[in-house]
Parts: sequence; structure tokens; C-alpha cells
Amino acid sequence: MEAIELKNINKYYGKGTSKVHVLKDVSFKAEKGEFVLILGPSGSGKSTFLTIAGILQKPTSGDVLINGTNTRNMPMNSKEKLRLNKIGFVLQSHNLVPYLTVSEQFELVDKVKNTENLSQKELEKLLESLEISNLISKYPNELSGGQMQRAAIARALYANPEIILADEPTAALDTPRVKEVGNLLSNLAHRQNKAVITVTHDLRLLDQADRVYDLNDGKLNER
Amino acid sequence: MYLAIKEIKHEKLRYGMIIAMIALISWLIFILTGLAQGLGNQNTAAIDSWNFKSIALNKDADVNLRQSLITSEQISALHLTKKETLLGQASVVAKHKKMKNTSANFIGLEKNGFIAKDIKNFPTKSGDVLLDDSFKRSGLKKGSKIKLNSEGKTFTVIGFVDDAKINISPVIYGTLSDWQSLRNVPENFKASAVASQKKGFEANDLSTYSKQKLIDNLPGYEAQNATFGLMIGFLLVISLIIMGVFQYIITIQKLANFAVLRAQGIPSSFLVKNTISQAFLLGVIGLVLGTLLTFICSLAIPSSVPLKFEPLAMLLVGFLLLIAAILGSLVPIRTILKVDPANAIGG
Repeated sequence: MEAIELKNINKYYGKGTSKVHVLKDVSFKAEKGEFVLILGPSGSGKSTFLTIAGILQKPTSGDVLINGTNTRNMPMNSKEKLRLNKIGFVLQSHNLVPYLTVSEQFELVDKVKNTENLSQKELEKLLESLEISNLISKYPNELSGGQMQRAAIARALYANPEIILADEPTAALDTPRVKEVGNLLSNLAHRQNKAVITVTHDLRLLDQADRVYDLNDGKLNER
Repeated sequence: MYLAIKEIKHEKLRYGMIIAMIALISWLIFILTGLAQGLGNQNTAAIDSWNFKSIALNKDADVNLRQSLITSEQISALHLTKKETLLGQASVVAKHKKMKNTSANFIGLEKNGFIAKDIKNFPTKSGDVLLDDSFKRSGLKKGSKIKLNSEGKTFTVIGFVDDAKINISPVIYGTLSDWQSLRNVPENFKASAVASQKKGFEANDLSTYSKQKLIDNLPGYEAQNATFGLMIGFLLVISLIIMGVFQYIITIQKLANFAVLRAQGIPSSFLVKNTISQAFLLGVIGLVLGTLLTFICSLAIPSSVPLKFEPLAMLLVGFLLLIAAILGSLVPIRTILKVDPANAIGG
């Protein structure tokens, strides 16, 4: 079964003459164990694609299925639960709460979800692999862009989600770090059996992806 | 509460300013409440201390003890028991070389009446008086000789009574016969009123009132209470508005965070609870500081300022302020619930 499936998604913004067709009959699926890259320039609809895939907003038409469950008529709190338990977001920036230290970001997850999160040992291992073990008592504003991004990745993985949705995860990183983040995302898919979907315009991630899609003018095509 | 505490600890300046604002508002409200209570007490302290349930006054006295006079015929018709006592009130000016002339209320009582019996060292003979303790602060002491009005007679101070005031003026207790001479009324006027320990005391052609009715009709008393009540009420409403505006502005500043948290699946109910508990926490800290400020202030304020802090009134005002703080935090709840988590994506 697909971890995530988008069926004939259309999304319009605005009304009347200012109506814009952002996603045009987009269909997409990703299975656990896959690292999928969605490439596209600015304004191509990447963010809209991610917000719909992450059930953050409704499509105008079409369906989003998470582990085979259609989310179309789901109430808000069920969607929140689904995001908390099944989907991990790695966002461009600001996805760390500014007044919590790195370790408190994990504590916050424990406050709202106290099962199936990574064990202390697994978390330590993850932080080590991301080279941020020594930064757990720091606040986000005390971290560099790269450190912040890695802390955000750790935060997303802590809840042990089945699906990882990453929005330009390498935007703030230099080339060696891009390689590292690429390897990390690839390992998450291949070794931890997660469905990793990354939207980006960073071509440096191409080598590590299992499948690559191009999103241009709202149309999604597999390469 | 988790996010609330962490945020307050991290954003010390921002939340310190909100706490300071709540502390200052509560300080102001506490002082105003203390003044209202103090002034109220100075209006009624002596009457409150008299153990009576109803009082009979002359029908034409307009519920005013000072304006009332009762004749011996009226008294004879009442068949008074031990549960009733006569009392007379007269406005006097107390004079002594150690102090400036002081306006006071002379209260003449039957020495065996139930009110006089409750007053320690009540004068038993004409020419002796018991004074409110404010005279002590003016330099009078036991044995001092004072003059009342322009009478040639000298009165001897035989003691002092704590907190004996009517209508802000100090009370001078003495005998009914001295009241008669000070009030300068004909022989057949025996008192200003008949106080009774019975609730439904009936007094023929006199008008009977409850203790509360007598207090409420003290000149200026209700207007003063209403003024303070209005000021305190306005302050509570203003603090509610200020808290609401502050909470709203802070929420607007945090919308990006809320969007991210909601995108990550943090339930909106968790965020709402944190916002309310944060307001509660800020309110409690502000109130504690406001109470401390009030306490320090009360030590520094001169004793001539009529401040009185009734614990129950302070608790009520504090509780209302806390409710205002919590209500203020409800203003941005709709905004939090309407935050679009999709805003967390893109850039």
C-alpha cells in the first residue's frame, strides 16, 4: 500500500479574473522506503503540492490518501492527529519553536504524543549522526543555519513518522552539507523504511533520489 | 502550561513588561479599594460597633440621626425594655490648646443601655468623655480637659476608643444629660433616637429603620461608595481591554510559530490551553507583585490617609482582575484557531 497518494488534485486560488490554477490534475504516489524528489522553479506550485500532501490545506478537487485513508472529509482534530503521528515536516526555516532549546523541542512532542516517539538511545544516535549532540541546550537563535536545519530534521524524525515531507531542506546549506542532508534523507527512506518526499529546486540532491518529478506550471511529470 | 512557562522564561523582557503592567494596575486597584474601604469605615465605624438591629427616628428627620429629636412623651409611649436604649447625637467642636479645633460627633448614651455596656470605660458621670483614638494622636491623653463648642463647661477625657467615627468625624462619647446641654434643646427632648436589638421594633409615631438603612443615608456615604465602585469597575474594564489588546498583539507576533506548530500536528486545543494558562500565570504573578507593592505602600502612607485592607474585598478584587486577565486571553483564541498551518510551508 502507498504511504501517500494524491489523486487528480486540482487547486485554484482567487476568484473571477484573478483565479489561478496552481495544481493541474496532479496524481502522485510514494511508498515507504522511497526517496522522491519534486523539482520545480519558484512559483511552480511546489509549496501548494506539499501543503496538500501534508493535509495542511484542502485541494479544490481530488483526494489525498494517507496509508490508504482518504482525508477529504476528515475533521480538523483527526487531521492534526494524523500529522502528529504519521507525517514529519522538515521546513525551510522557523520550524523550531524560538523559545525552546533543541532538547525542549523533543519534550514538546512528548507533551502531546507520548507513544512511538524515538527512545532516548535512538534520539542520541540521531543527534550524533546529525552532529548536533552538543547543541541540545541551545536556543534556535544560537544555532547557525545548517545547525538549525539539522535540529529541525531531528525534530521531525523524533515523532517517528512514516512519511517525511521536506520543503527545500538544503536551502541554507553549503555543498558538503547538502550531500550530508541528501544522504540522511536517503537513509531515512532506505534504512528506516520511510516515504521521503522532498520539494526543492536544488539539483545537488538529484543523485540520491529514487524517483524525480518535475513540477512546472502546476503539472507534475516523472522524469 | 509547558509552552507558557518556557516562553515567559525565555522572553523575560516582553512578559516582564506585561507582568509589570498587571502589577501596577492591581496596585492601583488595591489602593483604591483600600481607600474606599477606609473611607467607608470612617463613615460607619462607630455605628457598626453598636449592637442594634433597628433604630427609631423622628419622622421628619429624613433618616438622619443628627436631625432627629424625640420627646419624653414619645419615649413614654414606647414601653422600652433592656433591648432598647436612647442615644443622642450632636455636632460639636472639640477645643484644646494642644490641638487645633476639631469637628466631632458627640454621642450621648444611657449609661446602662446595651450600647454603652459594650463600650469599655463608658463615662458614668456628666462631664466625663471617651474619645476616638484619633484625639490621642493629636496630643490628648487620659485626664486632659477639653471644651466642646462655646460652652463654658470643661470635659475630662477618661479614655479612648479605637476606630470610633461617624461620617469621617471622630466620635466623643458622653452621657445623655451632656448631650442635652450640648444640643441645647428644651428639657422634654430626651434623645435623637431609640436603638433596639429587635429586628421589627415598632415605635408608634416614630419611623423605624434597619442599621443598613441608617448607614446608607449617612450624608455623602452612598455617593462616595458609588464613585469608588465606578472607578474600580472602570479600572477592571480598562485592564480587561489592555490585557486583550496585549494578548492579541503577542498572538499576532507568534502567528508564524503557531502555523509551524499546527503544521507539525500540535493540537490547536493544546495551543489554546497554553495561551489561557499563560494569561493565568501572568495574572497571578502580576497580582502577587501588586499585593507586595500595596503592602510596602501601606507602610509608607501616613496614618491620616484612611486606608483599610479588608482581606475579603482584596481577594474579590484580585479574583476579578485575574478573570479580566483570563478573559483578555480569550480575545486572540479565534485568531489561533484560524491560523492556517499551510503558512508554515514555502517562503
